[in-house]
Amino acid sequence: MKAVKDSAAGSLESSDVLVTVIPSDGREVSLSVDSIVFKQYGARIRSVAEEMIDKSGLSGASVMIQDRGALECTLRARLETAIERSAAEK
Amino acid sequence: MEERVLVTKRDMAERAELLRSRGLAEPGGEDLVLGFFSDEKLVATGALVGNILQGIAVDREIEGEGAAAVVASALVKKAVERGIRRIFIYSKPEEARRFQDLGFTLLASVSVESSGLGASLLEWGSEGINAWKKNTAVIAENKPPMAGSVVVNCNPFTLGHRRLIEYASGNSKWLYIFVVQEDRSLFPFDVRFRLVSEGTADLPNVTVVPGGPYVISSATFPTYFTRIQAGDNSGKITELYAALDLEMFRKHVVPILNIGTRFVGTEPYCPVTSVYNEMMKRILPVPEEDCRAIDVVEIPRFLEEGVPVSASRVRDLIRENMMNEVENLVPEVTWKWLNSEDAVPVLEKIRKSNSRH
Repeated sequence: MKAVKDSAAGSLESSDVLVTVIPSDGREVSLSVDSIVFKQYGARIRSVAEEMIDKSGLSGASVMIQDRGALECTLRARLETAIERSAAEK
Repeated sequence: MEERVLVTKRDMAERAELLRSRGLAEPGGEDLVLGFFSDEKLVATGALVGNILQGIAVDREIEGEGAAAVVASALVKKAVERGIRRIFIYSKPEEARRFQDLGFTLLASVSVESSGLGASLLEWGSEGINAWKKNTAVIAENKPPMAGSVVVNCNPFTLGHRRLIEYASGNSKWLYIFVVQEDRSLFPFDVRFRLVSEGTADLPNVTVVPGGPYVISSATFPTYFTRIQAGDNSGKITELYAALDLEMFRKHVVPILNIGTRFVGTEPYCPVTSVYNEMMKRILPVPEEDCRAIDVVEIPRFLEEGVPVSASRVRDLIRENMMNEVENLVPEVTWKWLNSEDAVPVLEKIRKSNSRH
């Protein structure tokens, strides 16, 4: 599933997370994580994101996560939506 | 809060009132204005101006409840949907912290003493400036320290630019020539960049660098690309943005390329550039805690038969169809290009426009 368009899901509100997916050249997926609770949860956020990206089969994208203290279920939902929107044919 | 795109006159008037109540002016040039309503009352607003989030205001009554985060993320999402990759935001310096907490990176903060105006420029995410610095640092490898620099738009490349660059090259161990990258001039960036590169290829110690998004861009210096409007405040606002662009230069560009001097030509015609030069002489030579002092060398504009040579004069002559006079004011490389097939649509555009750029 190749990323074909820029997409974003979520928000920068407290207890939410903004996930942005931007298509890039090649097949690789790059991931950047920024969080207000990076020290405690940075690694966890990254591993959840990597797992979701793998599962979706997303390729050729740069994924940016700006976390404002979201619960894991919120993070998963935002990732799923952003990835789906980015790969959706229009 | 209910989010709505504002279009009607009534909505816009309400928005102007909200901005005014928070000491803000309408930014102008908005591509999209969002309003947030609570019980049909406008309580927050924000706008997208190109790739810049501007005019963000929140009603006093709901301040501190995270409304600014709602506005900023709604605008970021709209910008992303439009394919905008680099997103900037302006805020008052005292409010920059709030946006930093939302994941924006502070690029520069300035306040101009004479007018009391201040502004901060922030960028969404943290990738942009750092990636740019990493790529730009490569250019400086094995180059001598305390290099010279010029920033030029070259719309188009004239003998005036050539003289300035010759002088700067002769008085520097190495010279970086930044060409403004924003494509809002009559001559497209790739043409301007190529003419400068070819027209300075004989100089042994120069590197021509694309200005990118951080050297005189629509984010660092928006008023550079528009006409100064008749009105009381525009001069002060130009000063503010000039200060912001210069702050960006000394904070981010100078250390990466190890620059010691900036060369500039006197500006006889353009009021924006002349304000910019004045601010440059005021700001750059004064060291601050994390910024070294940079020498500013201003050299008189090159004269042809007693008249200063400038790109705006060249464009005027093109507009008036006096091509034989143009030939005296531009280097051969520019003259050749002006007579090429590629130039036809550009010349046509110049003749039809009266844009400052």
